Amino acid sequence: MSTPATAGAAALGAAPLTREDARGLLSEALAMSAAEHTAAVLEARDQSLTRFANNEIHQNVTSRRQTLTVQAIVGRRSGIASTTRFDSSALRQVADRALALARLSPEDDRMPTLAPPAEPKALAGFVPATAACTPEERAAAVGAVMQAARARDLTSAGALTTAASALAVANTLGVFAYHPDTYANFTCTVRAQDASGWVDRHRRDWRALDVLGLGTTAIRKAEGSRAPGEVPPGRYTVVLEPAAVAELVAFLAWLGLGAQSEQEGRSFLSGRMGERITGAGVTVVDDAFDPRSLGRPFDYEGTPRRRVSLIEDGVARAVVHDRRTARAAGVESTGHATAPPAVEGPLPYDLVLGTGTASLEELIASTARGILVTRFWYNRVVDARRTLITGMTRDGTFLIEDGRIAGGLRNLRFNESVLEVLSRTEAAGRDAEPTQFDYSGNCVVVPALKVREFQFTGVTRY
Amino acid sequence: MQELADRALNAAQLEGATYADVRVVESRSQLVEVKDRRATALMEDQGLGFGVRALVDGAWGFAASAHPDAAEAERCAALACRIARASARFRLQPIALSPVAPARATYQTPIVRDPFEVPLADKIDLLVRATGAMQGERGIAVAQGSLRFWDERKLFASSEGARIEQRIVHSGAGLCAYARGGDDLQWRSYPTSFGGQYEAAGWELVERLDLVAHAPETAATAVALLSAPQCPALATTVILDGAQMSLQIHESCGHPTELDRVLGHEANYAGMSFLTTDQLHTLRYGSPVVNLVADATAPRGLGTFGFDDEGVPAQKVDLVREGRFVGYLTSRETAPLLGLASNGTMRAESWAHIPLIRMTNINLEPGPWTLAALIADTDDGILMATNRSWSIDDRRYNFQFGTEAGWEIKRGKRGRLLKNCTYTGITPQFWNQCDAVCDDWEIWGTPNCGKGQPSQSMRTAQGAASARFRGIQVGVGYGA
Repeated sequence: MSTPATAGAAALGAAPLTREDARGLLSEALAMSAAEHTAAVLEARDQSLTRFANNEIHQNVTSRRQTLTVQAIVGRRSGIASTTRFDSSALRQVADRALALARLSPEDDRMPTLAPPAEPKALAGFVPATAACTPEERAAAVGAVMQAARARDLTSAGALTTAASALAVANTLGVFAYHPDTYANFTCTVRAQDASGWVDRHRRDWRALDVLGLGTTAIRKAEGSRAPGEVPPGRYTVVLEPAAVAELVAFLAWLGLGAQSEQEGRSFLSGRMGERITGAGVTVVDDAFDPRSLGRPFDYEGTPRRRVSLIEDGVARAVVHDRRTARAAGVESTGHATAPPAVEGPLPYDLVLGTGTASLEELIASTARGILVTRFWYNRVVDARRTLITGMTRDGTFLIEDGRIAGGLRNLRFNESVLEVLSRTEAAGRDAEPTQFDYSGNCVVVPALKVREFQFTGVTRY
Repeated sequence: MQELADRALNAAQLEGATYADVRVVESRSQLVEVKDRRATALMEDQGLGFGVRALVDGAWGFAASAHPDAAEAERCAALACRIARASARFRLQPIALSPVAPARATYQTPIVRDPFEVPLADKIDLLVRATGAMQGERGIAVAQGSLRFWDERKLFASSEGARIEQRIVHSGAGLCAYARGGDDLQWRSYPTSFGGQYEAAGWELVERLDLVAHAPETAATAVALLSAPQCPALATTVILDGAQMSLQIHESCGHPTELDRVLGHEANYAGMSFLTTDQLHTLRYGSPVVNLVADATAPRGLGTFGFDDEGVPAQKVDLVREGRFVGYLTSRETAPLLGLASNGTMRAESWAHIPLIRMTNINLEPGPWTLAALIADTDDGILMATNRSWSIDDRRYNFQFGTEAGWEIKRGKRGRLLKNCTYTGITPQFWNQCDAVCDDWEIWGTPNCGKGQPSQSMRTAQGAASARFRGIQVGVGYGA
């Protein structure tokens, strides 16, 4: 029998749960269940984060977390229960609770069958050096950035994250899928008296973050946006850095590239499949195997992830599915089930937007008058069907004049439709960056974009 | 629990911690979601774990684990101290904590009926009937209802001798009807959006909301919104209902009064604040009718507890008094920097997270007006109800909100329904344009307040009443 002590003994540099431990725990959980069919999901994560502000480390944390989620199925009834304890008595309890919920559930005539066994495509996502990163290494890395900022009389804040995770899925039809991976992120804001600059990078290997190089970029942006000017609200040509584009494109996933919202009539795609919904040349795919993304090779039902072409040359082509929505649509799951109980339905996990040929510098150089946006912040949906989003620029907004950065600008509020922004895109950058959103785990891989007539509706005071 | 806490504290002190605390948290939650009379989510979570926070050489370290045994407690305590030493290499000033009397106490959320004792069949039946009642309205695309319950039992122990046990129970319930017509999608929620109302309460909240009785009107309004005229773009008088005021308070008063934001601790993520320390006791934040308090003792609030996650007793403090900015939300680490003692606002999402300054219950004190009298007193304007969209800059100046529904006010009477209502403003200007607060006060729950790295989600509350604001720009986002 697997025990908590086994799971807790993961060595530095290793996944928080081995394949053998995961198989043993899931087999035991399935064996404990008296339901007709049972599925189980095991997630374990060791995460460490060193956070700094005002040029000193102020928070520095590590946690070892694990969750087992059991879905019990009786006829066309289903119940889900989870636990963080993995001893035999806890496994018995979680299986019994799931079964009790299933027996009380009303019959669900749309309930799908469990996923059949299938071999996912191989995806190497685990970097031992990230899993082995120590508090001292993280402190030294961010320390160099803080010292560089302090030397220039600037104030730095940010966080360096390293994490090692394991996801395992099993069911009573014979599925067993296991995937370990690592994740590293460095994000940094440097403040001058009346300006700020920001960087953010996501990788599987923490050594590939180039922490000091990124910090230097944030310093350069902060110093370059001192004494910001102000432009009135209106429509401007913008050059959006990849982080700004990522914030916009990520909304497409939530607003309609998953089959549940499409089937419920809430998606911007509902009733428009096969129609042109955005500009010619715009291509959006979901591809966990894109080497720039941080994806996993299977979903929370154990179905291998497929590459799905969602928007081709501006035309709506597909949405992603889990087994429930696939059954309703009469198609096969694309391997995009979210974590149980999947209230949002299936979602794209690895959106990739097509790239162009220009460097960021070339996008700026080709702009007679416009605004360079480092990032957008606090973006929210104003009108779901129109993909209308509002938000603010933050930490590095610059005026472009005659193809050069002319100085910093006070931050602006925008109201824009994501699909219309993509329609008004004049050029895309050649390099795409991954952004993984920590609240969802979803990843977006996008280039910089140059967009005409981008609508700003307000200005703030800094 | 107690033994585990003692082992962790002893180990931390042996490793050199000048201060340490441990939280052992056992939690349980339940989600019941029904769409169109079908149960789409029946889920129960159970969790148990602990976190050790250690102060070594004037710097923090924290380590948490889901394995609640003595050996793991000692490993985490030692790891927290090692992390703190790594932090200390990059401290400019050692951290000093404001004093607090170490409490030995218990606290429990007062509830009438334990929501986990209510049969699941009754919960499903309630939502099946409520969603069925919404489906009866022609034009409804999706009729959704949900119930959520949390039961958290936690032990807080510190090296100063505190031993506090608390049981916090939260409940939530709500409906949402989605209507689809042509290219338009509109929705209406009851009693408010994003899952409904949440309180520190038991099943009695669900009974009081009477979801089934309110289902038909909720659905009818969603359908009516499809054919309602667009909210115009102009500057006008706005009356916000209590539910919308709740989020307005949360974003434009709650967050900017968090002292950790003011001091730059959130500069890279949640942001900073326009309420800088030089503004304390001087800034005219709002008009004289604006009075705001942080009250962790308020009945039914999601920010109500006996002690915060540093063992500081729950308190009621002024933030804005007669329009003047007079106070912050503080912690043991931040308060001494202003020569103050903590006012007890530190909370962590779970055992796996460190406590941060979080809103407790941020309450706008009620005014003398009835909503009917305020509408009758308004010649021309818009009544906006129930949040649909919210966005604010990282210092909490420039905001834009959208609401599910609005109604024209003409010559003192509530008129046509309006759709896609939005408004925008700059926080201190906006609150100075408030000329009336109503008496329809309610404490509204916000179950998903985000802050911190790693990001934490917290349940907070805002006491709010309908209020009137003059000269507000509305209809933004839908213009040319």
